[in-house]
Amino acid sequence: MYKLFIKKTKDSKSFLESILNKYHIKNDICYNEYGKPYIKGNPIYFNISHSKEYTVIAISDQEIGVDIEHLTYKKKLLNKIANEEEIKAIKNEHDWTKLWVKKESYVKYLGMGLSYGLKNVDTINNHNFRVKKYKKYYICVYKEK
Amino acid sequence: MQEEVINLIGSTLEIETKDITNKTNLVKDLDLESLDLVDLVVAFEEKYNIKILDQDIKNFQTVQDIVNYLEKNV
Repeated sequence: MYKLFIKKTKDSKSFLESILNKYHIKNDICYNEYGKPYIKGNPIYFNISHSKEYTVIAISDQEIGVDIEHLTYKKKLLNKIANEEEIKAIKNEHDWTKLWVKKESYVKYLGMGLSYGLKNVDTINNHNFRVKKYKKYYICVYKEK
Repeated sequence: MQEEVINLIGSTLEIETKDITNKTNLVKDLDLESLDLVDLVVAFEEKYNIKILDQDIKNFQTVQDIVNYLEKNV
């Protein structure tokens, strides 16, 4: 189970605080070695992402990763982030942005960020990505079933 | 090298470079996101014909970190 919050703000800290307050969760945020935030001593998991003027926060009772990205198409980056099968499936900015948010949500779920290697994220055979379109953005939540 | 790095940051991300120094933090000062960082990594790889390992990207906190990395690896 997870809940997704979207707000037109760049102030992700205040946005997170308002959500934690709403659920009466003590705001005791720590960071892992790759910079992923977590709440010390609390079995609530959250993840934050922002793109341009929007911030999304996903809250869950299990580990979760979220990413939001404005529609974009950076063909030049494909060899760095995708495998051959994935590259063949990318035809336009919608495909590209969906691929990006899937990969980012996964490495954020792992708590490793770019260090994991976006190319190592398999978006073809893994079916735990939850992608939704929001205005000119795509959002993806990753969590194990 | 520092000037080259700053110019490449500016041209790749289409941002103004006049306030960028070796101490500039990529995320805190320039507000860069993951996509910008990957964009930069690919630009540096192309310009210097090198391969930047994924696990090294997290060490790129400041412009100086990139300069140090390139001076060591180019």
